[in-house]
Amino acid sequence: MAATKHKYSILLPTYNERRNLPIITYLLEQTFSQAGLDWELIIVDDGSPDGTQTVANQLIKAYNTRGAGGERIKLKPRAGKLGLGTAYVHGLQFVTGDFVVIMDADFSHHPKFLPIMIEKQREADYDIVTGTRYAGDGGVYGWDLKRKLVSRGANLVADTVLRPGVSDLTGSFRLYKRGVLEKVIKATESKGYSFQMEMMVRAKAMGFKVAECPITFVDRLYGESKLGGEEIAEYLKGVFNLWYKV
Amino acid sequence: MTRAQQTLSIGLLLSSIYMVAFLGLAPLPEKLQTDVIPVLPFWAIVTFGAYLLAKLGYGVLTFNDVPQAHQELVKQIEQARVELKKKGVEVN
Repeated sequence: MAATKHKYSILLPTYNERRNLPIITYLLEQTFSQAGLDWELIIVDDGSPDGTQTVANQLIKAYNTRGAGGERIKLKPRAGKLGLGTAYVHGLQFVTGDFVVIMDADFSHHPKFLPIMIEKQREADYDIVTGTRYAGDGGVYGWDLKRKLVSRGANLVADTVLRPGVSDLTGSFRLYKRGVLEKVIKATESKGYSFQMEMMVRAKAMGFKVAECPITFVDRLYGESKLGGEEIAEYLKGVFNLWYKV
Repeated sequence: MTRAQQTLSIGLLLSSIYMVAFLGLAPLPEKLQTDVIPVLPFWAIVTFGAYLLAKLGYGVLTFNDVPQAHQELVKQIEQARVELKKKGVEVN
């Protein structure tokens, strides 16, 4: 019985990820070759001033080979910071796989969960598999009480107002069928923080089958995380906006 | 149907049922009518608030910490650095 060959495209929008990018690429390559899966990495860099693209090109030299399927890493930059949603749309043009993975470049999302998510997807041909920090043996590292409180509080607000049926609505570690991602992004209007949330709520509203996978989220080893009063206000606005629109 | 429409419809339905009870339009036992019905909305709100607070507290207390994941990651980063340098990629 011939199985359809699947290819997994990682869409990675980057901004100033010079230090993280090589490591995440290394981990992705390791994970996929050990699992025997076909993959590619599409880096959408928004004109990073820290030399991210230089490192990307070094990675291309190091990992790409000639021949069929050898172009593992593609760099598709943009002139400036144009937003996450448009970065995905831009990157999607160059995807040659039938599945697309969305994740963060700073290894808060560890590639080792990808084979698990892929396996989960196969179980019942799910349209989307999303990582959750809140269920099963998912978890976090490096979060103080305040951060945990804010995170749980935010998720509770979204859960109560939107009743999405997903335990981690603000998470952004997801595996999509390519066609599903294209459809969902087309319907999504938010910018910034709310974007990931809206994609999930819209996807559920459009009737797509979503499964969850516990993941561990290790907080940024390099770089600052941004979470202030303004972000919280933006977030609440985003949730109520979704409540009204979707 | 948007979530807003859903929430408002359910709210409207519950309010109508409550109004029927509140205005004495339905035959209810005396004790229920005088002691329970008038304070029901406040009781419901307080209970709901307490439930949310409990959920939040429980969620924060049971938030899983994963120090092993962190250690594993740090090791892998070191490995990665060595391999990448060999391949001519600048790290740090």
